[in-house]
Amino acid sequence: MLEALAASIPLFPLSAALLIAAGMVSGRLGGEAGECYTRRLALGAAMSSAIALLIVIGLRSRAAMPPQLRLGTWIASGRHRIDCSLTLDALSLSFAMLILLLGVAVLRFSGSYMHREPGFHRYFLVMTLFIGAMLILSLGGNGLLTFAGWEIAGVCSFLLIGYTHERPVAVANASRAFLTNRVGDIGFLLGLLLAVAWIGDLEWPKLLHAARKLQPIAATGLALCFLLAAAVKSAQLPFTPWVTRAMEGPTPSSALFYGSVMIHTGAFLVLRLQPLFEHSVPAMFCLMAVGALTACYGFLTGLTQTDVKSSLIFATVAQIGLIFLACGLGWWTFATVHLFAHAVVRGFQFLSAPSLMHRVAARPMRPVPAFLAHRPGLYHAALQRFWVEAATDRWIVAPVQRMAADVERFDREVVERIVGLPVPALGSLSSAAAWEESRLAATGGSGPDAREAGGVIRWMAHQLALALHWFEEKLVLQGVGADLWKGFRRFGQRLRAIDEALCRPRYLILLVIATLLSVK
Amino acid sequence: MLFFALFRGIAVRRPSAGNQEVRSDANLHSRNSTAPDLVKILSVILWAPVVGALLIACVPAQRTRIVRAIALGAATATLFLAASLPFSFDSASADLQFFERRAWNPAMGSFYALGVDGISLPMVLLSSLLSLVATIASSTIHRNVKGYCIWLLALEFGMLGVFMAQDWALFYVFWELTLIPLFFLIDLWGGPYRHKASLNFVLYTMGGSVFMLLALLAVYKSSPDNSTAMDSMITAARALPPGTQLLVFGGLLLGFGVKMPLFPIHGWLPLAHVEAPSPVSILLSGALLKMGAYGLLRSCEMLPAAVVEFQPWLLAIALITVIYGGLIAWRQTDLKAMIAYSSISHMGLVLFGIASLNMTGLLGATLQMSAHGLVGGALFLLIGLLYERTHTREIGDYSSLIKVTPRFAALTTLTLLAAVGLPGSLSFVAELHALIGGIQRSGWWTLLLSIGIIVSAAYAFRTIGNLFTGPVRPAMAAVEDLRPAELLAAGALVAGILGFGIAPALPLDLITASVARLSAIF
Repeated sequence: MLEALAASIPLFPLSAALLIAAGMVSGRLGGEAGECYTRRLALGAAMSSAIALLIVIGLRSRAAMPPQLRLGTWIASGRHRIDCSLTLDALSLSFAMLILLLGVAVLRFSGSYMHREPGFHRYFLVMTLFIGAMLILSLGGNGLLTFAGWEIAGVCSFLLIGYTHERPVAVANASRAFLTNRVGDIGFLLGLLLAVAWIGDLEWPKLLHAARKLQPIAATGLALCFLLAAAVKSAQLPFTPWVTRAMEGPTPSSALFYGSVMIHTGAFLVLRLQPLFEHSVPAMFCLMAVGALTACYGFLTGLTQTDVKSSLIFATVAQIGLIFLACGLGWWTFATVHLFAHAVVRGFQFLSAPSLMHRVAARPMRPVPAFLAHRPGLYHAALQRFWVEAATDRWIVAPVQRMAADVERFDREVVERIVGLPVPALGSLSSAAAWEESRLAATGGSGPDAREAGGVIRWMAHQLALALHWFEEKLVLQGVGADLWKGFRRFGQRLRAIDEALCRPRYLILLVIATLLSVK
Repeated sequence: MLFFALFRGIAVRRPSAGNQEVRSDANLHSRNSTAPDLVKILSVILWAPVVGALLIACVPAQRTRIVRAIALGAATATLFLAASLPFSFDSASADLQFFERRAWNPAMGSFYALGVDGISLPMVLLSSLLSLVATIASSTIHRNVKGYCIWLLALEFGMLGVFMAQDWALFYVFWELTLIPLFFLIDLWGGPYRHKASLNFVLYTMGGSVFMLLALLAVYKSSPDNSTAMDSMITAARALPPGTQLLVFGGLLLGFGVKMPLFPIHGWLPLAHVEAPSPVSILLSGALLKMGAYGLLRSCEMLPAAVVEFQPWLLAIALITVIYGGLIAWRQTDLKAMIAYSSISHMGLVLFGIASLNMTGLLGATLQMSAHGLVGGALFLLIGLLYERTHTREIGDYSSLIKVTPRFAALTTLTLLAAVGLPGSLSFVAELHALIGGIQRSGWWTLLLSIGIIVSAAYAFRTIGNLFTGPVRPAMAAVEDLRPAELLAAGALVAGILGFGIAPALPLDLITASVARLSAIF
């Protein structure tokens, strides 16, 4: 009963997402007529899970529910078993409450904001999926479940950044944002793998308990992996640029994703791993450094922004930097309070940003503060967002691209040549234009595609054929003629010479001695 | 066939062959848990496609509807029969099940021996499922339908035989048997460079299988039982001197590595995948590549000492294959070539799992075989169907398909996300196992795989972006969405990927016992 109640919290939004998807695929849900139904479904699901969550919180406060609830086994293989379980401690329950409160508010807001948009149903599908994923992330009882929620939330973010799919810029930004997130995902995954290797259990309570007994160096390695994940998700330096690209999505979704909920998941992960970080001094220092640097960066860059969403997002990033800094200094409670307060305030600011735009449209921009205005170098750097993205492009993206180009050249020049493909064979006829062309000129012969092997195999077969041909030519065909007789005569003369030599006594004696020796 | 004659030749020269047969009998029964008198279900499954092909041969070539119906019926019957296997399969036992055996060539000691364990059963299911999917997707073939359907069913026969055979001679015959239908399928129904592709494919695979044959013969010659049954070959191979074992394993690696494929012997794959008609690409990528991985697993079982020697090399090849395939896939603008190279990358992960030589890694490898079978099959199906509608595989020609063909968009996006290894897909479970196994065995080298993971996300998301988004173009405005039968086929594959990813207990149950037995020998 308790299990079903707790499990229903993330399942309500997820099943709503499934229902909306089914409705869209079957064609029952669509257009303006279905909007009401979709909206009610999404809101109802979020409200239901909020009620379930409230009951769970009530039960937990009376200690009628264990802090760790096992629902079943997810993956069982050999020595490893990963449960499907929920962690119901103060941190996860309050973060889940935050998600649902803001989620309900944003869904309600979007119902009117997205009215008559072509992608209304798609938007609500992704939003409910996102809320479900975030609930899995916050309530998940082990690292892997949290990771699953983490990844699905990332995909939802990709889908919403690319919401206006007619605009190529939006889609490119969505891909870029997701790829940056992928770096963090690898940090998370690596942390989980190391936890499996060193601790052997991924359940949060056991993992955190065992983390206190790890070697300091191991704890540092583990903590840094998770810090990478947290820093990417919370858009800390040097990963900040992805979040500015993420502003392409519809405003209510930006409020939920980057104003309030998703951008705080990095900080949430750090808070969740408090015992692990406390066990490692270098990790705490990194946490502090990342937080402090990002706070300064966000502050300076935010001053020079001229559009409302960008200045809001840099303010958000700076505040989360402060949360990281507080964690790094060991002020965990302060960081927790800061997180919740900031999430609510920023969510409200993002939601009210469009109306704010209407109000201030005619007024001139406030100039940058004097200390920045008097330092052109700093001002320029802030305006250019400290070239973080350009540096990433130059030092990471470009080398990988060049490596890919090199590898492809190797494939073309070496591997395909061994196979014996003509250089333009692959992909030369794949485009529509080429197809049209080939269809018009289809009357020609088979062209370059002769039925013959190429490359090394061809060369080997060719050499073999040449050798056999030579053999055939020299010995079998020509040999029967004069050549062979001549050869035999010469051979006979040589034999006779040897015979004569052997008949001389000295060779005969030598031969006898040799025979005797060899017999012995 | 020619090589098989060689086998016979050697057999005849050994006079003691007949006497030893009794002993090999006893040996075989030790791993056989089912009574031999039951209905020979594996034979029924194996020969069902052949019956279908024979029926088609009796139908006049103009009656294409009947031909298609028979092909569909045969593939469906095979799938249903195969799908009944897991219900009576005892997943707690690592033994061969549904075992059946009769003497085939007593002079040589070879048997017509069929059986499945936890490693081969998923492959049998996968091949029969993908064969049905390929048959459904074949509605786009209009030229010489009769011949096409016969070859397709023959290919299914060969694939099932490879996964069921419990005798190396039989295995080899089926292995070579898959080449003949594939040669004709690519050569007669393929794209513009089909002649080159088919010939290259056959030469490459044959070149590899020569080494495989020599390795098998070397084991056979030292076999005390004079039998090619897999059990006798295992005892014979493990008794070989260490140097010979290495050579034998090298030969097998070459033979199976070509098929898998591994860097640097993957040259045949991109062209063959691109030029093959799309239903055949589904089978090539989904099921035939798995034959290589499956054979490699079997040879690891045969030569554990040599595998341990080879382990660093296997690991290196695996890492290179993953990264190499991923990077080249990222550079491709031809959709089919991109999927083909990504297949190379995914099969590298299978080798990575094998190279970890522990239970978790091997579980990862076997799961990844099924996962990639479903993902690769689904991708080639969807892209193939798209190509039939637009006649372009160039990624830049596409745009805004989400508006025009929402079903295509949804299914392809889900499949590509699964290919990236997102949680909730079977690929994720497989990847996780392979990585855990890898980190236990080879430590920090596993880090290199992260390059592969990021690059795979890069090309998957670029593809999603280019195919489905952007401004509506006139050329792409009239593309037809998936038809019901195609939706069913693609939906079944995607449902498998997601369903088994959310509830991985089902596939894990099936394979765990056998993998545990395999990993226990290292």
